[in-house]
This record gives sequence, C-alpha cells and structure tokens, in this order.
Amino acid sequence: MKMGMLASRNSTKAVIYIVCIFLALISIFPFWIMFMNATRSTFEIQQNSVAFWPSTFLSSNWKILVGKSFNPLTGFMNSMLVSTGATLGAVYFSSLTAYALVAYSWKLRQPFFTFIMAILMIPAQVSSIGFYQFMYSIHWTNSLWPLILPAIATPAMVFFMRQYLMATLSLEIVDSARIDGAGEFYTFNRIILPIMKPAIATQAIFSFVFSWNNLFLPLILLTNNKKYTMPIMVSLLRGDIYKTEYGSVYLGLALTVLPLFVIYFLLSKYIIAGVALGALKE
Amino acid sequence: MRRKGINYAKYGYIFSIPFVVTFLIFSLYPILYTTVIGFTDLRGLGRTDINFLDNPFQNFQIILTNATFQKALSNTALIWIMNFIPQMLVAFLLTAWFTNRRFKVRGQGVFKVLIYMPNIITAATIALLFYSLFGYPKGPVNDVLMAFGLTDEPMNFHLQKWTARTVVAFIQFWMWYGHTMIVLIAGVLGISPTLFEAAEIDGASAPQIFFRITLPRLKTIVLYTLVTSMIGGLQMFDIPKLFLLGGPDSATLTTSVFIYNQAFSGSYLYNRAAAASMIMFVIISILSALLFFILRDRDPGRARRRERELRRIARTLDGEVSV
Amino acid sequence: MKRKLGLMVCVLLILSMGLPVFAAGKQESSPKVINVWSFTDEVPKMLEKYKELHPDFDYQIKSTIIATTDGAYQPALDQALVSGGADAPDIYCAESAFVLKYTQGDAAQFAAPYKSLGISVDSLLKKADIAQYTVDIGTNKSGELVGLGYQATGGALIYRRSIAKAVWGTDDPAVIKTKVGPGWEKFFQAAAELKAKGYGILSGDGDIWHAIEGASEKGWIVDGKLYLDPDREAFLDMAKMLRDKGYHNDTRDWTDAWFADMKDAGAKPIFGFFGPAWLINYVMAGNSGGSAPGEGTFGDWAVCEPPVGFFWGGTWVLANKDSKVKDVVGDIIEWITLDSSETGLQYYWANGTLNGPGGTKDTVASGTVMEKSDGSLAFLGGQDMFDVFVPAGQFATGRNKHQYDETINIYWRDQVREYAQGNKTRAAAIAEFKQQVKDNLAIEAH
Repeated sequence: MKMGMLASRNSTKAVIYIVCIFLALISIFPFWIMFMNATRSTFEIQQNSVAFWPSTFLSSNWKILVGKSFNPLTGFMNSMLVSTGATLGAVYFSSLTAYALVAYSWKLRQPFFTFIMAILMIPAQVSSIGFYQFMYSIHWTNSLWPLILPAIATPAMVFFMRQYLMATLSLEIVDSARIDGAGEFYTFNRIILPIMKPAIATQAIFSFVFSWNNLFLPLILLTNNKKYTMPIMVSLLRGDIYKTEYGSVYLGLALTVLPLFVIYFLLSKYIIAGVALGALKE
Repeated sequence: MRRKGINYAKYGYIFSIPFVVTFLIFSLYPILYTTVIGFTDLRGLGRTDINFLDNPFQNFQIILTNATFQKALSNTALIWIMNFIPQMLVAFLLTAWFTNRRFKVRGQGVFKVLIYMPNIITAATIALLFYSLFGYPKGPVNDVLMAFGLTDEPMNFHLQKWTARTVVAFIQFWMWYGHTMIVLIAGVLGISPTLFEAAEIDGASAPQIFFRITLPRLKTIVLYTLVTSMIGGLQMFDIPKLFLLGGPDSATLTTSVFIYNQAFSGSYLYNRAAAASMIMFVIISILSALLFFILRDRDPGRARRRERELRRIARTLDGEVSV
Repeated sequence: MKRKLGLMVCVLLILSMGLPVFAAGKQESSPKVINVWSFTDEVPKMLEKYKELHPDFDYQIKSTIIATTDGAYQPALDQALVSGGADAPDIYCAESAFVLKYTQGDAAQFAAPYKSLGISVDSLLKKADIAQYTVDIGTNKSGELVGLGYQATGGALIYRRSIAKAVWGTDDPAVIKTKVGPGWEKFFQAAAELKAKGYGILSGDGDIWHAIEGASEKGWIVDGKLYLDPDREAFLDMAKMLRDKGYHNDTRDWTDAWFADMKDAGAKPIFGFFGPAWLINYVMAGNSGGSAPGEGTFGDWAVCEPPVGFFWGGTWVLANKDSKVKDVVGDIIEWITLDSSETGLQYYWANGTLNGPGGTKDTVASGTVMEKSDGSLAFLGGQDMFDVFVPAGQFATGRNKHQYDETINIYWRDQVREYAQGNKTRAAAIAEFKQQVKDNLAIEAH
C-alpha cells in the first residue's frame, strides 16, 4: 500500500518535471532567438529569421544602434524613472484604496467598488485619444509625469489587492492594533503592508513590466529625444520602412529586456518562497 | 478608551482620496470623451464643431448591424475561449503542483520564474517571431513538418483561418498562463500554513487538500483571475493586430482591432469607435456581473459573521457588505 | 497621523496641479528654434549638412523623430499641428503612404504653400526638372504646391542577367524591355517562356501589385465612393494565373522566402523584381548573398523599363502655415527639394556623398541633378541605373493616389490572396472587399 502510493507519487512527479521542463523550454525559446538575432546581420535575419546559433555581427549591430539616436543610458534612466515611479505609486495607493474597501464600513463603499470595476472594463482605444488630446491641450508633453502619476489610480490592482485582503486579512489584527493605540495610517503602513508582501511583489512585477514595455502613449507624448524611453528608441530603429536594420533592432530589444530580468529576479523571491509569508486568517 | 466614539468610516473615504483625485485629473476626461462622442457626429481630424445626432443611437445601430463588427465579435469570443480555458486549466494545475508541500518540486523557483517570462517580451516581438515561424513557402514550422514527412508541400499557414486563430489563441495562452499562475500562487501564499499542516496530519491526499482547503480560500483571488482574464481576453488587441493585421479574410479580427480600425485606419470614425467601445463595455460588464454572481459567497453564515465582525470593529451601522 | 495624511494629499495635489504649469513654463523656447518632425533620421541628418554649408545659420534645429511602424507618427503629428504653440512643427515629413492626407486630405489645412515661404516655385520647378508625379502629389486642392520629395521613386524591372541570357540569348536592357513589355500581355508571354526553362518570372504576386496600382488610370476613391479600376480588378486574375501556372514562388513580399529569392535560394530561380532604386540599395544588394561581382547573385542584375510605369515610396517635405520663421524654413526646403546645383541636397544624395564619399547612390526628384550624376553600380554589372530610373519617373503618376490607400490596399490584397488560393469565388472576394471598406471606412461602393 505504501509502496504503491510512493510509486504513484514518483510517477506523478515525473509527469510534473516533464511538463515543467517543456514549459520552461518554450519560455526560453523567444529570448534565445532574440539574443541570437542580436548577433546577426540584417540580411542574415531577412534570409532566415529564426536561428539557434550566434553569428559575428554583434559589434556592427552595436555601432548601428548607437549611430541611430539610440542612447542606452538615457533610455535606461528614463525607463527606470517611469517604471519605478509608476510601480511605487500604483502598488502603494492601490493597497491603500483596497484597504479602505475592505477594512472600513462606509456608505459609498460598494458603489465605489462598482465604479472601480467599471473603469476597468472600458476599452482603451478610444479613451487613449481623449487622454493624449488632454495632455496636448494642457501642454504636458515631454514630461515623464503623465506616464507616472496616472498609475496611482490603477483599477485592476485595487481589485486584486481587495480580493487578496478579503481572503487573508483578519480584522482582529486591526482591532488589536487599535487597542494598542495605533493610528489607522500607522496600522496600514506597519501592519497591513507587510502582510501583503506576496501580493505587492506580484503586482509590482506586473506593473513594472507593463510600464517598461509601454510604447504607444510614451511614443505620442515624448517627442524630445532626451526623454525617450528604451522601447521608443527601439521603435525608432524600425522607423524606416524600407531599410530596417533588424540586427540592431534585436540588439535594442535584448538590451531593453535585460533590466526586466534583474527586477524580476529581485522580486521573484517573494513569489517563489516555499513558505507562506504573512498569513493570518485561518 | 480612545476608541469610543471614533467613527472609523471616515478613513474609508480618506484612504480613497488619492485614487479618486488621480482619477479625476487623468481619467475622467478621457472616459467622458469615450462615453459622449458615441452620440455625436465626430469624425475627421481637428474638428471643433461637434454636434449630437438627431437619433442619438445612430452610431450604435450602425455598429450593431455592421457585418464586420459581428464577425469581429464572434472571432473575439472564439479566440478568447480557445485561450481562456487552457490558460486556466494549466495555471491551476501548476499552482496545485507548486504549492503542494508533499511534491516538493525541486527547482520550482526556477520554473516559476521561467514560466512567467513570455509575459515580459513585448507583443510586437512575439507577433513577429510567430509570423516568421509559420512562414511560407519556407519557415521553421514548414521545415519541421517536411523533415518528418508530415506534408510534402509547404503549407501556407498565413492563409488558413483556423491556423491563424489557433496561433493567436496559443500566443495569448502562452503569454498569460504564467501571469495567472503567479497570481494564484500569491493567493495561496496568503493562506495560513497551519491549515495545510493540520490537513497533512489528518492524512488528506493532494487533490483533497487542493479542493477542500486551497480552492475555497482562494475564491476571491479566483474571482479576480477570472474577471481580469475575461476583460483582458475580450479586449485582446496587440497580438491579433500585429500577427496578421486581423487577417486572413478577417479571421483574427477582434473587436478591439475593429475599434482601432474605425478610429485610426483612415476615416477617423471616432464616433463609431466610441459607440463600439461602449457596446463592448456593456458586454464585458454583463459577463463580469455574471461571474461575480456565480462566485458570490454562498455560505450566508460566513458573510454574516464577516459583517458582524466588521460592524463590531468599526462601530458603524451604515455599512453594506457583499462581494 | 491625520496631519501626515493631509500633508500627503496636499503634496499629491500640488504635484498633480502644479507640474503642468511647471512643464508648460519650461517649454517656452527662444524664437531661434526650428522644429522638424520626421519618421526617420534622414531629414534631420540632411539638416546637419545644411548647417555645415551655411556657417551663418544660427537657428537651433529641434528634431522630433517618431517611427511610423507603431502607428504613432500620424496621431502625434496631428495633435502637434492642431495644438500649435512653440512645440508645433515648422517643417514636417510625410511618407508616400500617407502624404496625401497632409497635402490634399484631412490635414491639408496645416500645410503652407511653398510660394508663401518665399520660394519661386515656377521657375525652380522648371530649372530642376522635377518629376511630375512628385508635384502632383504635393499640390493641394486649390492648386498650390505645398510639398515636394527629394527622392525619385519611379520603378523599373530589376532582372537577372544570367537568366535573360539563358532564355533570350542576351542580357541587354534595350532588348529585354521589349520581351517583358510594354503591357501585361507581353509580360505574361515572357512568364510562359521563363517557365518553360524552369524559371519563375517573379517571387510572388505582391511584386506586380505596386506596378499595377501605380499604373491604373483611377484610384480607389472617385467622387467620394469606392471605385474598382479595371486595371486593379485585373490584378485578381493575374494573381490567380501567376499562382495556377506556377510562374512564381508564391512568396509574400517582406517575408524570409521573398528575400531568399534575391540570392536564388527559393524553389526555382526568379527572374526579376519590380522596384525603385532604393529597393536595390536597401534590400536587394544586401540580400544577394555577396558584396562583389561573382558572389551570390551580386553583379548578375540589370534594370530595364517595366511593362507599365509606377512609383513606390518616397518622402515629402512640408511646412506649417503657422510657422513663425517662414523665410528660414523656405530656404531649407528649397535646398532640399528644388536646389539643382552641386551644393544642393539632391546632388549629394544622388551621388552618395552626403556623409562623405562612398555612400549609397540614389535617384532624386530633379532631372537636372540626375543628368550630371553618375549612377553606375557594381551590383548591376556596371550599368548606369539613372539611364532607366530617370525616364521611369516620367511614367509615374500621382493622380491615382488617395489618403486611404494604405488601408484599402491591405483589404484588397487580402481578398486577392483568398481568390488566388482558391478559397473564394471572384465575386465573393470582390463583395467582401467592398464590405470591408464600407464597414471600416464608411465609404460606399460605386
């Protein structure tokens, strides 16, 4: 009986490993192609756009890249400012709003939540016209702020934080903090935020990746090359329809994705941790 | 006895201020813009003389009877179902595996990291990659099929409607299942480990633990996952737009691509694009409401306990509690 | 605690409300600035040369480059033109796919007539001998010239010398042009002869589309309605015939297989490609599998007149009618588009000497410049390509173009592929095409 269970567990484990390794391989695949293409010439790529082995054009791609108004340092700094700013704002204020929705009983609570959900469901294409018309009309182009501040109101994240708090937050802990004489703001910052670590880490990754890769809005709002983010610079490389330098485009893409790896690996320890971090509710 | 007489409800309002202020500054105008221009004659560039239509619902009627919109709607539903179901199944399966304390999957940290990775590449790169993979008359997929003798002639995948839809659905699935999995795992990490320990001591099996302990406590997160995946799926734009421009023969034209085409492909039909957006908004709202209804807290005792707890702590009588 | 929170909200409010003012204040720029908007760095790079040639030029050039590939150039440019102010473009560029919107279409009201910039248009046009299609496209609805290009993008047939010799015994462009044209009938006759020897005349049906589109009498829109010109409708039958009879390798332009045919790596050797000079420079030379005669197909090519005249691509330069520095803008635009001297932009551009000697040679709009420039290329076995491309510019016409072309072409070619593939009947393909144009652009069929 025990032997049988062990055997079945072992075969289940084998299945798990096979599936996971397969999924991991197809996850790596596009990155591999991207890095390989970063070392190939435009014409090699045009002849065969998928290759598994590197070529010898890395340095010439780099030369084309920096020759074409691609400034990795400026792009990195701007992207970093936008993504970090937007992520911090989104994570902190979404948690705060979610806490307001879960921990307090107030008259407009349910309508407010419904309202947040409604914003989430409006398709973006037309609203984006309104947004950049508005930004142009108040002459707020070539500033990074319109890419950072709106993140304070991120409905999807409020929704997630609310759902997370509903599942994990025990109101008793809030109560006991009050008995200890803690202010509401203090309770949130010092007690609730640490409980939310796994939720914050996941949402921070998503938000960071989203801002980092965001292209259309920055492309329209930032027209001064000192304000360009990395994706804008890559997009410019593809600008000339008739003579796109694909080798340098892939190199640009590869450079753009590298910082994301770093951020992701830093934050992933909260997600991959084997033990629960802040559970309170039983 | 500081607590007495303090009305905690006001903190609900105070803590919501940053969100509301930001919303008012940045999003109110764009959203009103979308809502209002659907009822106007706004088309074309740099127009300042915008009038409301005599028949306010004219744009809505035009869109609803528009053959291409109807096609886009059914494509969106098809492609969404084709990616949503496998995405959920795989994400749940992986969550069950990775959070099961008995399997102790080795290297699971690495797997969790890798599986999310397709989500950090831009959609444009992925679309271009798949366009080349399925190239005709020469391309890696054709090469492989011919090498294994599965086909004698190269196949023109870009002209096969179902292949195109399947590829789009696959890309959507592949870019998002890791994302969904991470959300679910974050939810599981919020559950107290003592619960799992107790279950293990009682000798519960892995499926039992997952279905009896993990899932019920994950309900609110599951609701989040279902609702946001649905919204994301029904607003799917980048991949169908970039992979084959909505083709072949409109097979991968989704409603978001349709809306984009109305507004930006030449005629600047902003009014119709806005009307189509509002139609999609209504459809998505109905489906979301349905999900909220299905996954509502069906244990009235629990809801009541929660409410009592809230009231007791907050000492206010005017709250409404529901999910 | 409450104070802290209040402070936070205040800071937030100040940040949100105050920054626009701050940002707007920063943007007040001195009048000595010229804003240039473009979708590549081509024109901004030209202006560096302009500054070098004019040491007393003391304006600062502020260039804004936004790629067209992600569909953001036009929305951003439109907003900048509509909003005006210090950041509005003084000079802006438009690509052939959308130039008509800015010269004759929805955004035509922003373009300044060249005459209002102090350019003596009539005499210079004659002196520089500018290709007529460039002028047609750059002329607004009231007959004023508002935009001109610097490149000439008249197209030719670029063919393989070795295949020509194998089939017709000669590679002389003067003879080959009588084999493949004039007219499509002779072209398909040639296709049959090539096929008999195991060659394909073209790589895919996309290759003839640019020629058919450019040569048709009328464009997609006639009197505000969709019009299917008989020449364009015939593309359906030609595409099907090319496929059914195996005259091509069935590739789609800009895919791996299309590029592969340039170095003879496809299913069968391909005789030719239709294109302007830039196709040779930017695409074919690099994809020929070599960089000197004898390597790959390099040096095995020649150009001759196509069966029908057409042009493909090009950049037009426009000025904003609200520009505060019209005289200076006029001088720059004249230097780019109408100066046919040896210190004009086009002379450098034609001879590949803009950034020093040895650059790529290209055809330019001015016939005068072309005459005194040398267009011989090793890629073409030493042939002077200007001999063919200069007259090619005269065959081209800009009268059949419309600002919706890019979108309508996508729908049309999609349906042509469906028909050629045998997925649809001819009538169904045409009906679906009309339906798509109607549904997406609100344009009824005739």
